[in-house]
Amino acid sequence: MEELLRMEGISKQFGEFFANRNVCFEVRAGEVHTLLGENGAGKSTLMNVLVGLYQPTSGSIFLHGKKVKIDSPAHAVKLGIGMVHQHFMLVEAMTVFENIILGDRRSKKPFIDVKERKKEILELSWKYGLNVELDEKITNIAVGAQQRVEILKALYRGAELLILDEPTAALTDVEVEGLYSIIEKLKAEGKSIVFISHKMREVLHVSDRITILRAGEAICTLDADKTTSQELANLMIGRELSEPIYSKVTQPGDPVIEFINVSYKKSFKHGGLSEVSLRVAKGEILGIAGVDGNGQSQLAQIAAGVIVNESGEVKLKGKKPSTFAPRGFIDERVSLIPEDRNLMGLVGDMSIEDNLVFKSTEDVRFSNFHGWLLKKNAIRQYSEELRDKYDIRCQSVAQETRNLSGGNQQKVILARELEAEPDLLIAVHPTRGLDIGATRYVRDSMIEARDKGCGVLLISADFDEVLQLSDRIIVLFEGQIMGEYSGKNPPIQEISLAMAGK
Amino acid sequence: MLKKNFMNVLIPMLSILLAFIIGMIIILCMGANPIQAIGFLFRGAFGTVTNLSNTVVRSMPLIFCGLCTCFAYRCGIFNLGGEGQFLMGAMAALAVSLLIGAEGPWVTVLAIVAGILAGGFWGLLPGILKSWRGLNEMITTIMFNYVAVLFMGFVYTSALREGSVPQTAAVPDLTKISRIFPNLRITWGIVIAILVGIAAWYFLFHTSKGFQLRAVGFNPTASQFNGFSVKSYRLMAFVVSGAIAGLGGASDILGTQFRLISGYGSGYGFDGVAIALIAQLDPIATVIVAYFFAVLRVGSTTMQVGSGVPTSVIDIIQALVIIFAVAGSAMMHLPTVKVFFSNLFGKKEAA
Repeated sequence: MEELLRMEGISKQFGEFFANRNVCFEVRAGEVHTLLGENGAGKSTLMNVLVGLYQPTSGSIFLHGKKVKIDSPAHAVKLGIGMVHQHFMLVEAMTVFENIILGDRRSKKPFIDVKERKKEILELSWKYGLNVELDEKITNIAVGAQQRVEILKALYRGAELLILDEPTAALTDVEVEGLYSIIEKLKAEGKSIVFISHKMREVLHVSDRITILRAGEAICTLDADKTTSQELANLMIGRELSEPIYSKVTQPGDPVIEFINVSYKKSFKHGGLSEVSLRVAKGEILGIAGVDGNGQSQLAQIAAGVIVNESGEVKLKGKKPSTFAPRGFIDERVSLIPEDRNLMGLVGDMSIEDNLVFKSTEDVRFSNFHGWLLKKNAIRQYSEELRDKYDIRCQSVAQETRNLSGGNQQKVILARELEAEPDLLIAVHPTRGLDIGATRYVRDSMIEARDKGCGVLLISADFDEVLQLSDRIIVLFEGQIMGEYSGKNPPIQEISLAMAGK
Repeated sequence: MLKKNFMNVLIPMLSILLAFIIGMIIILCMGANPIQAIGFLFRGAFGTVTNLSNTVVRSMPLIFCGLCTCFAYRCGIFNLGGEGQFLMGAMAALAVSLLIGAEGPWVTVLAIVAGILAGGFWGLLPGILKSWRGLNEMITTIMFNYVAVLFMGFVYTSALREGSVPQTAAVPDLTKISRIFPNLRITWGIVIAILVGIAAWYFLFHTSKGFQLRAVGFNPTASQFNGFSVKSYRLMAFVVSGAIAGLGGASDILGTQFRLISGYGSGYGFDGVAIALIAQLDPIATVIVAYFFAVLRVGSTTMQVGSGVPTSVIDIIQALVIIFAVAGSAMMHLPTVKVFFSNLFGKKEAA
């Protein structure tokens, strides 16, 4: 196959720090080439160099064998490089059509020839199986459809090379399947794709070749059909990593939280709960399996006291909670790792130390006179202890949490929630978007908490995770419990059928 | 961290510098000597002890209004009603001092308390509307400004009117807030203003409640998930910020103005917003920026008399400072600028 893009000896330096060091990366026409690496391995920097957001400190880029200098994203588009960012760059209040033609200057006419443009876009969308409703507003369409709009936008501008940055992170399983078939069609039409991800299974599924980045350097390039996920994982983190097999608990203690026929917005299939009864006991992990959007968020929020169930009963340690609000649940030692860490867990504009003592500023450890004089030194010292204990990588604990990587943000939440010595830990997608090292760390911590006698309610869309960690598994589908299974030798086939509602 | 503090000082400083340069160009275009005009400006503000004192007197209401905005914004509340809350405070204080039928320091205290309560109440109303009905406070607080201004019209034209001119009676002599130095117009009001500034700073940055209030301002969802009562903090921010403005109104009427007339207090609310924004929502910096605004106001009159340059040039400079300061802080969030500064500071950044 013909070579489309070659990046040769790319280095990008920030101060003394090399985000990329002498990286060589090459993409052929009509192939899917994956960039694999942990968070902070330099994948985004390399792609930012490619789309002209950064200028490399050294090295050069060749397109179709010709040396090019890409000085802006607009220039990259002109050269046929299109990027679909992990967080979509769409104007929510505008329609799909408007978003696609936004900023496009192919015609010199003062007015937009709507009919003509729509025809062109529709032709493109048929060709690649990118079904979108052109006149629908972005706010009204699903995440998967928004992604199709992004891809269509890039193609409409003549992209030969598409960069997909963690494209499956926000998708449901069905949507992921749809994306795979789109990728197949793009390949068949001779488009090249750079796929950025750290999920082994999908990487092996979609890629032709895989380049592994570690600490800013390209370690090697492999053919996807000649490697295994184990090999990739080892190359990625640079050491042997065996899949941990956690022990399972079969004799849990007293219940910490019980749901008795709990309903919430019963008529909603997605985002409601109907007659849910479950129980989490001390020293066990109850895993909730299921495709995203089947009531998991609502389940977690009721268990944390954020929203109130409409009928049924919630009992904490055998009693009705005195105040059905987050404060009341926190006082009963309920901890929460929320599903959206930036929205619900952290205050991005505040420092790591502020976020670590977030709930306990009135504690005698951190303030005098019931909160009327904060002990800044004590807070600093405590935060530095936690930073070391939980391996939070940062320049200083006074740094704002918004500047941390996802894994380190999650560690800040984990540190705060586990240091509260919870009796119940609710963990929602606790490893979503994390690299292997951080994922492992979060999982180990949950097991450790369980072994100390904490009850864990684990809600995750990652089926492997639920299987690995849970002592008992419950499947949630359209707000209803489909069945309960033992976590020891779970009937995988049966569970996955239950997840599909069968 | 150091970098951030540094930028918080650098941006306002640069904004002021740039605004002055453009202002001087405008003065030059008008055919006057800019150096001389600016000389008159500063002589007017600092030239004599009396001028210096006038500047301080002028800064007092601005400090209160700046702190009013600052406090509310820290909780994510865009209180644009500083003017209305200020006026309600002034009216309540005046009413108490006139209607109580006695005079003396205890009446002063009572009048000040009335001012605080009235300002707080005027802040509470939009707070209730926001918390229970979801109305946008930017709209409601401005509307409440109109209500307060019109109500003041009623007060000085009929309710508390004295004589044939549309103005109220003056605060009785013994009820006035006393001067610090007998022959200068500076009153203890300025001390109250500075103390409120320090108190606000202490509350926001050194207490648990202040911490939670700021957290609600930054991220209400996370605050709710972590067990803070978002609604109570928002109401508290409305009430306290209104009370600060009300205290300002009371201090101004009891210490400086003594009576209500048409146009009293006009523009204070928006000056307060501008001041707080330039000060990057830091209470101590708010006090300093408010003083700077007063320097411009007092000095501009001297400049007009001395060099013939109209005071409106100073309004232009003031507006430019605001634009530059706001644009400057917004610019800091742009990715390219971030990269530039991280290179400049040699910060290690893994992208």
